[in-house]
Amino acid sequence: MAHLIFDNVTIQYPIYNNRSMSLKNQLVRISTGGLIEKEAGNVQIVTALKNVTFNAKEGDRIGLVGHNGAGKSTLLRTMAGIYVPTHGSVDRVGRVSTVLEMGAGMDPELSGYENITRMGVLSGMSLNEVRKRVSDIEEFTQLGDFLQIPVRTYSTGMATRLMFAVATSSQPDILLVDEVFGTGDAEFQNRARERMEALIQSVGVFVFASHDHDLVRGYCNRFFKLEHGNVLEISVDDI
Amino acid sequence: MRTVDTFPPGVADIVGSLKNLRIIIFMALSDLRARYKRSVLGPFWVTLSTAAGSAGLGFLWSRLMHMDAHTFVPSLTAGLILWQYMSQLIVESTTIFSRQASIIRNLNLPVSIHPLQLLLRHLINFAHNAPVFIVVAFILKLPFSWTMLWALPGLLILTLNLVWIALLFSMLGARFRDLEYLIASIMPLMMFISPVFYRPNYLKVSAKIIWMNPFSHFIEIVRYPLLGEIPPLFVIEVNVALLVFGSIFTLWLFNKKRTRIPFWI
Repeated sequence: MAHLIFDNVTIQYPIYNNRSMSLKNQLVRISTGGLIEKEAGNVQIVTALKNVTFNAKEGDRIGLVGHNGAGKSTLLRTMAGIYVPTHGSVDRVGRVSTVLEMGAGMDPELSGYENITRMGVLSGMSLNEVRKRVSDIEEFTQLGDFLQIPVRTYSTGMATRLMFAVATSSQPDILLVDEVFGTGDAEFQNRARERMEALIQSVGVFVFASHDHDLVRGYCNRFFKLEHGNVLEISVDDI
Repeated sequence: MRTVDTFPPGVADIVGSLKNLRIIIFMALSDLRARYKRSVLGPFWVTLSTAAGSAGLGFLWSRLMHMDAHTFVPSLTAGLILWQYMSQLIVESTTIFSRQASIIRNLNLPVSIHPLQLLLRHLINFAHNAPVFIVVAFILKLPFSWTMLWALPGLLILTLNLVWIALLFSMLGARFRDLEYLIASIMPLMMFISPVFYRPNYLKVSAKIIWMNPFSHFIEIVRYPLLGEIPPLFVIEVNVALLVFGSIFTLWLFNKKRTRIPFWI
């Protein structure tokens, strides 16, 4: 049984000053007469998540809503185990699959087929497993002979199809999706939606971050609102 | 699959990498394929450029330094091949995490797979270069002796040293972006104070400086046997000491900073 338990999770990370930053600080320092002096050259700490606690169990479909920069992607990455909490703990049981950024693990010089293998292997499949899924991916992307030519020649929409098809071809226990299927033509979006819905039914825990509130309402049964790194569980009417 | 943190993060990461050897091998081959996608000779360009380099430099330098080409050219070729292996790996490792950022930020994989696949890739390149030495040895009729086989354990120690070096420099390069340029400008200098072009015993005055350079020890542990001699004991000792202390230090730093790496890139 898949589950995902966050206990008082805080994520903080440093932003290191680059040259332009310190130059700017230098200028500010001159104009303010030394008030900000102490900060110049110091490391700034960003708190991306603050004391987040929740318990996601088998069957939970969680929708994440919030403004840009509210911490949705950070929360998804922490759920995936990519970010490790500064404080608190994450207990995660189940195989995780992520659809976060488009193009993760794709190499533009390689052909569509080679990229299917590459992304598949990176997400933990064996070559045999990848081989079994190729026909399904071929059918879903409908890219035909384009799969034999390098991905750098693809349009954004075509690359999205390939990426989405590979990312959704495994059978994870925990599926984490950042808003991604915005691109592509209407026909593709419909098919993407169907595929997504089928996949959501089959996974244990599903987490979906989106600005499209109708989509979130349609897919999810629990709703988290993020604000400045705080997570608040809200009811479906409050979205 | 339950994620339990019984190991410190750095050790857990490396254990994870070893469990994912399949991914490392696949990535190294896939990156090589991508790089040479539209070239006819592919990785054999490396072979060709090494051959051209050692032929040209060998001819020029043996004249300039009044050396016997029969002893000088094999030594130079071996030096060049080993130098390329080390220097290209180190320069590239400073940017490996930022180049693989999309994988690190999107998939929950051990990050040490990246320096390891880089090392494997350069080991494959090295294997493309190695025949140049064999050809040179044949042409110049270098006498074969069984001592030459000691180059293999030497290569193993060198490669194990490169494991920690690649991991260390990829970490430092992710945190300090200037490192890439710093290393790129220091490496030629390191080459001049390493015995690539000459043997330490050619120039008595500079021997001390040369033996201060760790790269000299890395080169000589493989090159002495290739030229038919057992390396001096202190070369082996320095190599083993660097391996032990370098690995311990890198592992300590990696344990401390592993969880920060996704935020640096």
